[in-house]
Amino acid sequence: MSLRKTYLRDGEPVTVVAERVGGDHWRVRVGDAVHEFRAGSLGNGGVRIVPVGERAEPACTAFGAQSGKDYMIRVGGRTFTLQEPQTGRARGGAAVGDGAVRAPMTGTVLAVSCKAGDAVTADQTLVVVTAMKMEHKLVAGVAGVVKRVDATVGGTVEQGAVLVEVEPQKETLS
Amino acid sequence: MVKPPPFRRVLIANRGEIAVRICRGLRELGIESIAVHSEVDRKCAHVLAADHAFPLGGNTAAESYLDVGKILSAAKAMGAEAIHPGYGFLSENANFARAVREAGLVFLGPNPEAMERLGGKSAAREEAMKAGVPVIPGTETDDGDAALIAAAKRIGLPVMVKASAGGGGRGMRLVYEEKDLGEAIAAGRREAKASFGDDRMIVEKAVFPARHIEIQLIGDKHGDVVSLHERECSVQRRHQKVLEEAPSPVVGESLRKRMGDAAVQLAKAVGYDNAGTAEFLVDDQGNFYFLEVNARLQVEHPVTELVTGVDLVHLQVRVAAGERLADLLKDRDLRPRGHAMEVRVCAENPEGGFLPAAGLLRLVREPEGPGIRVDSGVYSGWDVPVFYDSLLAKVIVYAPDRATACTRMSQALRDAAYLGIPTNVDFLRRLVDDPDFRQGHLRTDFLNRKPGIAKPADVPPDDLVLAAAVLTQALLPRTGAAGGSNNHESLPAMRTSTSVWRELPQFSLLGGRQ
Repeated sequence: MSLRKTYLRDGEPVTVVAERVGGDHWRVRVGDAVHEFRAGSLGNGGVRIVPVGERAEPACTAFGAQSGKDYMIRVGGRTFTLQEPQTGRARGGAAVGDGAVRAPMTGTVLAVSCKAGDAVTADQTLVVVTAMKMEHKLVAGVAGVVKRVDATVGGTVEQGAVLVEVEPQKETLS
Repeated sequence: MVKPPPFRRVLIANRGEIAVRICRGLRELGIESIAVHSEVDRKCAHVLAADHAFPLGGNTAAESYLDVGKILSAAKAMGAEAIHPGYGFLSENANFARAVREAGLVFLGPNPEAMERLGGKSAAREEAMKAGVPVIPGTETDDGDAALIAAAKRIGLPVMVKASAGGGGRGMRLVYEEKDLGEAIAAGRREAKASFGDDRMIVEKAVFPARHIEIQLIGDKHGDVVSLHERECSVQRRHQKVLEEAPSPVVGESLRKRMGDAAVQLAKAVGYDNAGTAEFLVDDQGNFYFLEVNARLQVEHPVTELVTGVDLVHLQVRVAAGERLADLLKDRDLRPRGHAMEVRVCAENPEGGFLPAAGLLRLVREPEGPGIRVDSGVYSGWDVPVFYDSLLAKVIVYAPDRATACTRMSQALRDAAYLGIPTNVDFLRRLVDDPDFRQGHLRTDFLNRKPGIAKPADVPPDDLVLAAAVLTQALLPRTGAAGGSNNHESLPAMRTSTSVWRELPQFSLLGGRQ
């Protein structure tokens, strides 16, 4: 059998193909590099990975799990959250400094301190969201005029939801 | 001689890891435990750990774990003889303690009169001053925003704005500039109201750089109070403790005795009984200032248990039943031995500004081995609710000395896996591996001075990491469910929606893993 996945590394897509060559022997292509491993699943949700070869690295146990659209992999005591290219693009869609104010996490709206038509300054607090007993102030990323507010006090918001849209102020050259 | 259990059944008015830990303590004493739970918590680890469970309904803390009427009805319906409040929620609510007593039940915590005299920060200050325990200059009462602002100016900035009823950093803010006082007080009031149902605030001189060192106390109903020594809790983030240890790397015999004596003196002066903690700030000259008493079992109580050999839950139950400390601790050498360290594993994203991260924990693998204790409230398949705090589990290590405790903790965290949502495990490991941490150079601003611990330089995944990602998926196509190895061999979480069952197809509603 074989499995093929593409993940972003340093912003660049890298295709990884794991191919079982027999028994517990796997050949894994990571981009242009080819690696050989012995690998088997353990009863505890982990996978034992033993690099094969003359300059082999130490064996390790890896644990992996889906996390939303990403894949979390824990190996050698470190966790990496790997993104596939399309989700990477979706995230990059909202450039820093645009007028969208998003919920950073799923939570409940505690306060809304702006309405459509309001002029706001950069860093002005527009909405306060609470989750797991902590308060988070959401501030305007840019100065401008509030175009739309999609948050009501007491309402639940999902992570990533756009709560306020600010029309950025046109910069005037003097 | 084995003593008969002091109670037949005890209700635990709490959730998550602390309720699991209390269940264990009760079982060791031969007492049946009763869990209570909200809607989303009906398959929470504490419900699975208990002998009996009672649904409170609702989801927010206010409609479940903070509802005194519901909890007392549950105790009555289930035939409880006593109630353990855990920490947070109703644990430091004197009205609750009184209501428990009036319902003819035993409250496994301090008496409400002592709680009232010490429970609030401002009341505690007054009592401390009366008992001759040094305090930080500040306000004793909340006479409104204007008075608090005026007091802050009088004391001199920076000041700490705090919830009078509070603990755990809720409602607490360090304010450097006059113009920020109003907003800090308002936000503090909101958080305090939401967390404790009491929005009174106080203002204190900010003492720092300082260490946060606290003294564990246990008192009986006959006027005896014993110090179980200090815990070092200086590693904090936004006034929330991140890592605790005992003993403190800087507290010697003499300071330990002076702080312990001061704490015992204060507790005796107010007729305190059961478990409690006196918190102090200690400056670089070794001066200590009383902060407050946490009139409950603390999150970090295990480190004290490991170095003194006592079980604080056992003691809480026994002193509440009227037993004497002189008998319970007879012939016990309570001097701290070895070194214990605890980290709080939380559902939050340190690399992304520490935002809380509720959601499905697909795979939980907790460390084990000599000198490793894990007090956990989660398991593979548990959907961490958004309604309560973000603490998932505590990893606690014990070793002969601090250096060994550090390496043991680092290895324990290396072996831990909590996957599916962001957690602070890697952050905690970077903290424990930090050279200054290893040296014991701790102050309450330690993490502020070390931004690299929270946000390290980006390390791209190497080939082994990418290969591992694909190999785990090839070998365990339904990752996260198949794990099966957690500390609570139990049913998976059943969410309000059915999505878990679609995502974890090997569990069926009828024939779930037993």
